[in-house]
Amino acid sequence: MSDYGHLAGHRFPGGTYTLPPWLSWLWADACKLEPDWRTAHQGLAYLVALRGAGVSIQDIFDLMDATADSGVVFGEFQVDYHGVLRPGTTYDCEAEVVEVERKSGRRAGVFDKLTFQVKVREEGSDDMTIVCTNSWIFPRAEGE
Amino acid sequence: MVTREIQVGQQLEPFVIDSVDPEPMKTMAAILQDPNPIHFDTNVTRELGLGDHPVNQGPTNLTWLTEFVQRFAGGPDRLVTLKVRFLGNVLGGDRFECTGTVTAVDHDAGVAELEVGATSDGRPALGGTAVIKLAD
Repeated sequence: MSDYGHLAGHRFPGGTYTLPPWLSWLWADACKLEPDWRTAHQGLAYLVALRGAGVSIQDIFDLMDATADSGVVFGEFQVDYHGVLRPGTTYDCEAEVVEVERKSGRRAGVFDKLTFQVKVREEGSDDMTIVCTNSWIFPRAEGE
Repeated sequence: MVTREIQVGQQLEPFVIDSVDPEPMKTMAAILQDPNPIHFDTNVTRELGLGDHPVNQGPTNLTWLTEFVQRFAGGPDRLVTLKVRFLGNVLGGDRFECTGTVTAVDHDAGVAELEVGATSDGRPALGGTAVIKLAD
């Protein structure tokens, strides 16, 4: 069975991401919340982190030799907030794999838990805005 | 806004979506660039045995839980940490409800810890913890 532990420390491209005001407005509206042109909903941390990491969901599947129909699911999602997300703001983002753990459970069988972290700062600032830590679960067949 | 009178065991005011509307799932699929048809095509959900209702996006459920916590805390700038586990699907038409309890208060640090969660038609959907700042 392949071991993906060596991916710890693997850096995603990262880069900058500008949060479009229209997207921030539509996000709140789609969630049936009151849109605000000045302040983005903190729930957008998920999207800012994913876009800022510079990878697609498919890229992460490829890294783990998984496919869209292989049963990949969210594990945990943690956000550490140091500031408020603002529409129209450009963010500098760094992202890397923290660890990949091979685990097994009676119901889940054998799976890999991939944890990656995205650090988000306003462009040109040393101060963190948010840090997102995601874990995704990749089911593995015996011998995979 | 949460005052320093907050107490361990205090229940948060529940946040309820009476009936999850399937229509905004289409907007969210476009925003997320999420091609999975379980969020917008009920022919696919039926074929997959998921029934006649599309599956709400996880980030929407996460946003509702975040809203629930920040309303209790007194605003988005009072969130410190939110840690969430995804426990189950939320379907169109479901009643979605967030609940929570204060589990610890640290007056010296000016923060409180919460246990939070969400159910969808009574099924576990999200579970987690949060840390918020207390009012000065």
